[in-house]
Amino acid sequence: MKKLPLLLIASLLLYITAGYSQDSTLTERNMQKLSMGVPGKTKMMLTGIVWAGLTANLNTTDKLMPKTSFNDFGFSPMFLYKLSDKFFIESEIEIKNAGDKENAPAFDLEFAKMSYIINKYFTIGAGKMLSPFGAYGEKWEPNHIERFANTPLRPDDAFLPDDTHLFWGAVVGVDLRGVIPMRNSKLTWVVYVDNGATLHTEAGMGGVTQAENWNDQNHNKEFGGRIGFLPFAVPSLEIGFSGKTAKVGGLEDSVYQINSEYKDYKNIRSTAYAVDINYVKPILAIKSIIGIKGQYTAQMVDKAYYATPAGFMPKPENYAPSTANATGVDSSLYTFNNTMQSLFVQFSFRPAMMDVKVLKNIELLFRYNSLTPPKDAAWGPKNLMGQGGTINRIDIGLDYWISWRTALKFAYETTALPNGTDQNMFLVRFVSGF
Amino acid sequence: MKKRIVLFIAFVAVIAAVTLNGCGASEKLTSKIGAQLWSENCLRCHNAPDPADYSDEQWEVIGVHMKLRANSLTDMEVSKVVEFMKSAN
Repeated sequence: MKKLPLLLIASLLLYITAGYSQDSTLTERNMQKLSMGVPGKTKMMLTGIVWAGLTANLNTTDKLMPKTSFNDFGFSPMFLYKLSDKFFIESEIEIKNAGDKENAPAFDLEFAKMSYIINKYFTIGAGKMLSPFGAYGEKWEPNHIERFANTPLRPDDAFLPDDTHLFWGAVVGVDLRGVIPMRNSKLTWVVYVDNGATLHTEAGMGGVTQAENWNDQNHNKEFGGRIGFLPFAVPSLEIGFSGKTAKVGGLEDSVYQINSEYKDYKNIRSTAYAVDINYVKPILAIKSIIGIKGQYTAQMVDKAYYATPAGFMPKPENYAPSTANATGVDSSLYTFNNTMQSLFVQFSFRPAMMDVKVLKNIELLFRYNSLTPPKDAAWGPKNLMGQGGTINRIDIGLDYWISWRTALKFAYETTALPNGTDQNMFLVRFVSGF
Repeated sequence: MKKRIVLFIAFVAVIAAVTLNGCGASEKLTSKIGAQLWSENCLRCHNAPDPADYSDEQWEVIGVHMKLRANSLTDMEVSKVVEFMKSAN
């Protein structure tokens, strides 16, 4: 009888000792792995961009506005996780100056995307992702990749309502992408579905499409895609074609009456396309790298009537006075040809193969930008006769590359507005990828 | 309407050119080594990176990131570039 407790105690001690011994073995094995630098299966890295700069408004006459300001700064960490050979996660946070008097920083989740590599031809992704429409948003926009200290002229750059994102920004949805080798050429493709844009119908904003909807604002989805073609074995040239389309009417049954006929906004469709080109070529004869990048974008929104804002005089042929809407309240309506076009073409020249270090780090830049909003809309810049027109901007830049990812950039931009006035800016930006 | 027609024609032209060219990479493409792919492809969007700036493990992560973001490199090309960066850092 006395032997049984002793046996139990001995068994317990043996069990504890064995367990401890096993733990020690595991710990020693892990220590050995660490000392040998053997990584775990998950591989990750923290990378990103930081920038700081100065903006000088060269022709402001407003005494309440400073002529120069250190207002351009930001920090944008990017998290990359390779969970396996098939599964990849990428996300970027951007913290930058919001540009308001409250000095509050703008804090945004730029993208958060999961990708699964199905096979060598197909990769599926989901989440908040940079818009694959055009080449600028997904490929050329990061501050250490963008050659200039500024961005191309974009629809919301102080000239149009802030919602009119046309060729950049993020979308929330699912994409499928891949690369197809074709002898000496390559075809790259991506198709996607996302929440899509929503149509503003209120007075003053009627006809504006609001992009970047993190929650869908209607019952429709946007479908889009891009095809890129690299025709040569040396991939110096890429030409891309993009398109996207969606019904943009909101959830509310907004109805209006034109010529005794009731119409609503729910079937209003927005269609956009873009053509982009990228040519980068080292030329030994001049010991330099030349680059040409450009993108043309156009958006067409179906014809609809919107409330006429106070003080705005539409063209007589666009005007529909005193029409009753669904609420029974009389209001005048107007319509316009809701198309918008933007274009930028930039040239870069860097004598990167010169022997003189200072020269080889310098890059000279030129960019032509133009933006044509809907000419007869209530919104957008107008000439002295109250008519809309094209905004043209010329950018001239000079970069000094301290390393492949760090540069001091200078840019001068001059913008010609439809009313005949010019806006001239000088920008300095120091940017580094990390 | 004219712009839509031009776009459609351009789209068909690209597809036709690609189809006529036939599928599969040529030997000219498949025989490229990592250093050559690094010098030809990175430059298209940004300056060619210095291999010494990141560790072997980080280059493996960057390789997948660039495959998805640039969407213009085949699996084999990405592997060759990553191996070159790992060998040269």
